[in-house]
Amino acid sequence: MSSVIQEVASTRRTAGERRKGDGRMAALFLAPWFVGLFLITAGPMAASLYLSFTDYDLLSAPTWIGVDNYVRMFEDPRLLQSLQVTFTYVFVSVPLQLAAALALALVLDKGMRGLALYRSVYYLPSLLGGSVAIAILWRQIFGADGLVNQVLALVGIEGTGWVSHPDHALNTLIILNVWTFGAPMVIFLAGLRQIPRMYYEAASIDGAGRLRQFWSITVPMLTPIVFFNLVLQLINAFQNFTQAFVVSGGNGGPADSTLLYTLYLYRKGFADLDMGYASAMAWFLLLIIGGMTLVNFLASKYWVHYDD
Amino acid sequence: MRTSINQRGRRGAAVAAGAAATALILSACGGGDSGVGGTGEVEAQDCPCEIRFSWWGSDERHAATQEIIDAFEAENPDITVVPDFTDWDGYWNKLSTTVAAGDTPDVMTQEERYVSDYATRGVLADLGELDIDTSKIDESILAGGRIDGTQYALPTGINAYAIVANPGVFEEAGVEIPDDTSWTWEEYVEVANAVSEGAGEGVWGAQDYGFNEAGLNILARQKGESLWTPDGEIGVSEETVAQFFQTSLDLMADGGQPDASRTIEYQHAGPEGSLVGTNVGGMASFWSNQLGALSEASGEDIQLLRYPGETEFERTGMYYKPAMFYSVSATTEYPDAAAKFVDFLLNSEEAAKINLTDRGLPANTDMREVIADDLTDADKQVADFMADLGDEIVDASPVPPNGSAEMQDIMERINTEVVFERITPEEAATMFMEEVNAAIAD
Repeated sequence: MSSVIQEVASTRRTAGERRKGDGRMAALFLAPWFVGLFLITAGPMAASLYLSFTDYDLLSAPTWIGVDNYVRMFEDPRLLQSLQVTFTYVFVSVPLQLAAALALALVLDKGMRGLALYRSVYYLPSLLGGSVAIAILWRQIFGADGLVNQVLALVGIEGTGWVSHPDHALNTLIILNVWTFGAPMVIFLAGLRQIPRMYYEAASIDGAGRLRQFWSITVPMLTPIVFFNLVLQLINAFQNFTQAFVVSGGNGGPADSTLLYTLYLYRKGFADLDMGYASAMAWFLLLIIGGMTLVNFLASKYWVHYDD
Repeated sequence: MRTSINQRGRRGAAVAAGAAATALILSACGGGDSGVGGTGEVEAQDCPCEIRFSWWGSDERHAATQEIIDAFEAENPDITVVPDFTDWDGYWNKLSTTVAAGDTPDVMTQEERYVSDYATRGVLADLGELDIDTSKIDESILAGGRIDGTQYALPTGINAYAIVANPGVFEEAGVEIPDDTSWTWEEYVEVANAVSEGAGEGVWGAQDYGFNEAGLNILARQKGESLWTPDGEIGVSEETVAQFFQTSLDLMADGGQPDASRTIEYQHAGPEGSLVGTNVGGMASFWSNQLGALSEASGEDIQLLRYPGETEFERTGMYYKPAMFYSVSATTEYPDAAAKFVDFLLNSEEAAKINLTDRGLPANTDMREVIADDLTDADKQVADFMADLGDEIVDASPVPPNGSAEMQDIMERINTEVVFERITPEEAATMFMEEVNAAIAD
């Protein structure tokens, strides 16, 4: 360590040499991250790739079975169900979540008093939403005798047990995900601040109304931020686990209606002792997420506006 | 570490299992499969030594088990027992990952749905070769821990799956608790409907039994079938499965059971939050060792009843289920110390007096007398009930085959489809056959 520092100190002569020294320094500081990457991420990933071609029950040594696990996936009705649930969950909750985030960001951007407080309050669900406590709370709120039904009863509607009904359980999870809009909201807020005020001044001098300003200035200027949020939240939503695990009691119920892909993967690996298949599922999920992200980037050419 | 897992409970344990999985894959990557399975020869070591004992359960059980460990260590100063415990769900995730990582606990608690998976993959030691006294355990109960002729597991105690009845609710409804020695399945439905009707809004006659395969097993045995055959196949007919689901559906339709959504919610609420436990239901199906929890939660003297139909068909269906098992790792370095500890758990009066009926009514028949004076009223009732059943039980229920751990999931999924009337009982029976066959095939 100290020799590196001495070396860095003694090589401050030419710009070229200095750059070289900085590189070494950077490598040194990055080293812990690389160790983490290889030991905690890349190593297990390589192992799971290998395991995905084996029959592995965790209790005895894995045996090589080639692509059997991947072939089995095409004949597994529960896998299809889990994909259906996951895609519904992702494609309904992410747009709603981003819409909610943008709407709140627009309101907060007006510069009201106590902005910092409101910003924190609305960000709070994002911090809590993935937690076990909130998921348990959700079970209570949407239970047959829960808060939601008590409110509904006031206006004369008799609700059902939302979490325990196969037709509604997924919707409660979607609402929970939408509710955690704080992170994209903060990013939207930062994006709104970036838009030069002079555009709005010029537009209002030209006689453009608020709505016109929103559609012609705010929206196009904000598209890179929307894109960024979309990519992140899609990937996040595909990987969601805790909420579904807790709300469904750990098994994707009732009747597989909340069987998110990650939940099924977990059950296959640890409950059914089918880790080879679970590893294959993990790689298939990687392909799905990679594919979705690629499509996202390709499509972005047509709607994302970069101001340069 | 111990308390932190305990506090974070089951969800935390799931997360921990995830972390353990990462670690496992890591070790699989770096270290090959040296620790996997039980094929490698391990040289037995002498003590002083340290062995690890793992179990699942509630806080009460953790405290009691620690007391037993302390008593054992006082008697055997050269052996240290390291406790390793979680709740039920987390237990199996953790156990499978520790086995995969080559770190199998020296002594572990097993259960009938999992024991075959572990035994046939070489994880468990042949207990017949170790010095453990099993002479005080009934042969038919010992058989529950024997797979392909080898004693891989020793039963801790016995339970029976039974109907529990809440006398307070029956009184409120103006209905008499039925005579359980002769009642039929039809009478079960009638009684449940009568309680619902008599007790009024918000109180029901029965909680749905369809989530647990034990009730199905009893019905199957009454009809001369059995959930599993001794060869590890499905032994119940599609017709019986359909009948099982149909009865529960009829009950819901006639008001004897709550609606489908509430049924699911009560199912997830455990004994304490169940219909009977919260005094809003007349009857439910539970394992006999849960009677204490039900009585305490409800404040009533909950009664144990035989399952309906015991005299209706060709034979009786009730059976003793080994509550849990003790097993020893096939790769332990200290098999003698592990055996000594298991022997202590099963055969010492000290352990029996601390454990009472927490791991079922003791399998060791001598210990039942040892603890008789220390039992609560509920536990006394369990002991008497089990003794009464002794003459009626025809035979033991075969050990479930590999893959039967999925049963819990399959039952829950199919029964949910049934109570929401998304499939008919006949379709449910077909689905049951297909899914269970698939589970035990791979």
